[in-house]
Parts: sequence; structure tokens; C-alpha cells
Amino acid sequence: MPLSRFVLFRVWLRLFLLQGSWNFERLQGLGFFFALFPALQKLHGEDRLVTACQQHAGYFNTHPYLAPMVAGAVLKLETDRQQGLDPAVDIQDFKDMVAAPYAAIGDALFWGGLRPLAAGFALLFAVKGIVLAPLIFLVSYNFLPLCFRTLGFIHGYRAGLQSLEFLQRHHLPDWAIRIKEAAVVLLGGLSAFLVYLQCQGQAVPKGFGFLAIPVVILLGLCARRGTSTLLLVLLTAAAVVCACLFGVDPTGWM
Amino acid sequence: MAKADSGEKGGGLPVVDIFLGSLIALICGLDRVAALQLMVSRPIVAAPLVGWLLGQPEVGLQVGLLVELLWLSRLPVGAVIPPDDTQVSIAATVLAIGLATTTGFQGIGFVLLCLLVAIPFGKCGQFFDRYARTCNGGSLRRADSALAAGNFAVAEHQHLLGLCRFAVAALATYLAIILGGGLLVPLLAPILLSGLERSAGWLQVALPLVGVAVILGTINVSRALTLFAASFGMAFLLMWLV
Amino acid sequence: MSIVLTRIDTRLIHGQVLEAWVPYVHADCIVVANEAVTNSPLKKMMMEASVPTRIRVEIGSVDDVSELFASGSLNACKVLLLFATTKDALAAHRKGLLFSRLNLGNLHAGEGKQRLSCTLYLNPEDISNLADLEGEGVTVSARCIPADSDRPWRKLIPGRKGEACP
Repeated sequence: MPLSRFVLFRVWLRLFLLQGSWNFERLQGLGFFFALFPALQKLHGEDRLVTACQQHAGYFNTHPYLAPMVAGAVLKLETDRQQGLDPAVDIQDFKDMVAAPYAAIGDALFWGGLRPLAAGFALLFAVKGIVLAPLIFLVSYNFLPLCFRTLGFIHGYRAGLQSLEFLQRHHLPDWAIRIKEAAVVLLGGLSAFLVYLQCQGQAVPKGFGFLAIPVVILLGLCARRGTSTLLLVLLTAAAVVCACLFGVDPTGWM
Repeated sequence: MAKADSGEKGGGLPVVDIFLGSLIALICGLDRVAALQLMVSRPIVAAPLVGWLLGQPEVGLQVGLLVELLWLSRLPVGAVIPPDDTQVSIAATVLAIGLATTTGFQGIGFVLLCLLVAIPFGKCGQFFDRYARTCNGGSLRRADSALAAGNFAVAEHQHLLGLCRFAVAALATYLAIILGGGLLVPLLAPILLSGLERSAGWLQVALPLVGVAVILGTINVSRALTLFAASFGMAFLLMWLV
Repeated sequence: MSIVLTRIDTRLIHGQVLEAWVPYVHADCIVVANEAVTNSPLKKMMMEASVPTRIRVEIGSVDDVSELFASGSLNACKVLLLFATTKDALAAHRKGLLFSRLNLGNLHAGEGKQRLSCTLYLNPEDISNLADLEGEGVTVSARCIPADSDRPWRKLIPGRKGEACP
């Protein structure tokens, strides 16, 4: 008997708490059991329920936005097995197989790509003093993750093992790189905007603003070599305060 | 600019401000790892939210703008715990708004001071977060024995207990920053405030630029610096000429 | 031969490797030496699909990988070499795949394993394998991502009780 919509909805909701008991031994393991439990309870009789739960409380870690797709596919495989269909792949193997690649893709796409892009976009409004900037960030960021969480779950449950093809077909890691490139360009524009407004406000000659490029590149190279952000922030702040206090007048150099 | 008179209440933060801040600290702190991940925890959202609750959204927006990019490139991948920029931005906003009413210091220089004091405390967020995750290991063992005994409700309960630990960790970080900031800011204000006030404009540019630089230095894009320089130059020229 | 990073990580290719280490060491080729992945076409396909196309991926058993390095076809690449276990790393080093530094990333918890740090759990066999590698001149250190500090693994072995993790 396939799972009812209500049970699936409960699992979907619980997936939002996936990382609630994140620990260093099994990472999201316990959370994955917690999310799947309503469905497992429906699928398995008393005898198999304990082993199934223990299996799903084992080591597991993937990206929280792609976990619904894994959960959906796992539920499909569990349902198939319950109906006596021979699953093409062992459920535990399936989890092991998809967890790390999905994590890698999610990290690149959402944390590494979409977040800087949405942040850069919203900050453009924040610089202008528009108080709705946080809302702009939330809407522009969350659209894609919510699609992945909802549609991914449905797709995972419908397609089961075949949900893997989704990943192959769409070359998501390459999309992640495109988004990151867009984010870099946007951050360039944002920086220019900030510097321009400041030059205008302080009546500094505009050409002076181009000095921001070598400064940022220098700081970026420091960051690449592993200098901590905290150190860079405090040093930069100290340098700026000193420069202003001792009356360094960059306009005089030009 | 700092107002000399006004200090009738002495130092200290209004308890109401601390309490309202802790509500947001709790919600946003959970959003970081434990629940939802709707990114309410980003400084650009969390700080204006607190500011709005305390009646000065523009201060929150300032703080959010300054902190958002700093640790954006520290991704929460696997077992990695980045510095807690959520609590830094929330606490800095509470400090800036709360201390302004009791000490009489005001203005963008004071906001920057509160922020610069709060930023190093982001590290203690990592400590509390790691502690919560280590304690969750105990939950896991209790959940295991509950499962073996067929006691599913207990196992589920253990998972939810983890949420409480993350909540406590978030509040602890928040209170640590409030406490540290509440002590340090009034001490440092007379010394640093005039300097910060004079350099405020440039600092407001410098902090986001450091954030951008760190992102460029660590993002997985080949020729990120070239792309950045081209886009900066292009945008700047356009604004200059048009 | 140009190995820019050799790492032991139970999860092999995942976010920490792709998002943090690849840009840090400027790797353009990831080599995975693991028997289990090599023998499962599906696992292999998934792993290859999680890497951007501009990065070359080679997946093989320890023997395959040693031969690949010996053949010289990777000489022009900046290689990030991944093992899942200390055993594989030792076997590869003994087969002539010489690396001078070894990074310990994630080694999962399990029965009878000692906790070195939040992400490192070693059993006695792992410890003797690492000691052998060290005896052969490899510098072994623990570092989850580039932003962490590099810590010599021996200092992490518990003994002194109550040591906090990093």
C-alpha cells in the first residue's frame, strides 16, 4: 500500500528539523530517522520496525536542501520492498552512495553560489537604505531551495532510484560555477557602488575610487593564503582609523 | 556624536532590549543549523529584524550591511562550524540601540564601535556550537538504546532535545557578546569614539570590501579577481560618466 | 608528478574537498583511490557527477591509481589525491606512489575507535598505519578545511584526559 499524502506531508515537514540533533558521530543520522519515522511506522509491522529505524538512524549526512530528494527516494524503495518488489539496490547502499555527492552539489550550489548572489543583490538595496532589503534577500534566496525541497521530495518519491538521473542530466556542479561567477560580478558592482557613494559624499575625486581594486585584490590574496577574516577586519579598521586621524589626505597625492 | 550629558542611568543595557534581542537570537540561532535553514540567520535579515523590534530598523540595516559579507565564504560544510555572524550582528544591534539610550553615545561611530567589539566574539559562537554538537552525541547513544528497546517516542524525543541544545548554545553566544560588549563598549567609547566618528564613512566601505575580498580569495571560481576587477571598473566608470 | 594535496576522508569527494580545498590548492584533477567505488558503476557515476566538468576525475583501486601515476599521464596536472582509509594510503605509498604530506580530514566514528578530534576517530590499526607512514617519511597532520590550523596528529592522540576538541 503506498503511503498516504498526509504521512508524506509529515515527513516533508519533519525534514525541516533534519539537523536538530547534529552530532559528530553520525551527523544527521538521528535526524533522518526522526524525519522518516511517521512513514516507517506505516510501512513496517512491529517485527521489522526496530531494524528499519536502527538502519535509518545510522550515519548519514547530506545537504539539508537535497535531503528531501534522498528521503523521498528512500521511502519509495522502502514501499517497493514492502510490496514484495525486489529493489534494484540495497537501501543502505543507496543512502551511502548519494549522501556525499548530493552534499557536494548542494554546498556548491546553495552555500557557495546562491547565497553570495542573493546577498550581493539584497545589499545593493541595503546600501540605498531601503529597509525592505532583508525581505528581498529572503525571497530571492529561498525560491530555489524551497523548490528543491518540495519538488525534490515529490520527484524522489515518484522516481525512486531513477531520481539519480536528475543530477546527471542537469550538470548542477557546472550551474554552481555559473552562479558563483555571476556572484563575483555582482559583488564587483556592489563594491563599485559603495565606493562611488562614499567618494561622492566626501567630495573625494572620483578617480581615487579605482584604488579600491588593488586594495581588494591584496586583501583577497591574503585571504587566499589563509589569513583569518577577523585579523583582516581588525587590521583594516585600524588602518582606516589611523589614516583618518593623522589626516592622511589622499586627494593631495593626485 | 557623543553627548556628554544624559548619563543619568549610568551604563547598563535596558533589560527589555536584551530580552527582545534574545527572542530573535533564539529563532535565528536555530535557523543556522538545527532547523529550517531559511537563512533568517543571515546578518542582513537578523540585524534589521532586531532593529525593527527595538524601533530603529536603520541601525540594524547598517549592522547587517557591514557584517553580511564578512563570513559569507565560510561555508557550513560537513562538520565545519563557521564563526557565529548571526549572534554577532544581533548582539551588536542590541548594544548599539540599547547603550545609546542609557549612555547617550550615538551616531554611526557608536554603531561601528559596538560592531567592532562584537566581531571577535563570533569565535565563542563556534565554541558553544561545538559543545552543543558534542553533547548531542550523548543523545544519540540514548536514542540507540531506546530504539533497541522498541521505544520510538523516546528516540524521537532525544532528537528534539538536540534542538534545545542548539537553542541554548545560541542564547549563550548572544549573552556572551552582550555581556562582553556591555562591559567593553562603555570603557572603549571615550577613547575610540572620536576616531571612529571621523573615519565612519570609510569604515562603512572598508568592512564590506574586506568581506568581498575574502569571498574572492576563497570562492571556487577561476580568475575571480580578474572578473571582480573588470566588473568593478565597468560599474564605477558607468556611474562616474553617466 | 605533482600532488598538491593527499587526504584521507571517509566521505571521499564532498563539499569540504570541492568547496574549500580545490580552490585553496588550485587543483585541476581529483584522483580517488578506493576499491568499493571502483567496483560499483553507480557509485562511480554519482561521484563523477558531483564534480564540475572542468576538473578531471580519476577513480580506481589503489593498484590502478599507482599505475596511473607511474605512467606519467598526470604529470601536467595539479592532483588532489583522496583515500578513504589509512590502509589504502599506506598500501599506495608502499606501491611507490610517494607523497610527502598526508592530510587527515574525516574518519568516521565506529566501534573501538578512539576520538582524536571532532571529525577524526582512529582504531589501533589506523594508528599503526599512520605511524608506518610517518616512519617512511610522510608528514601526517590533521586539518579539516584550509581555514583550520594544521595540527600534527600525534599531539591529538588522547592520553591526556579532558582535552577539548579543536
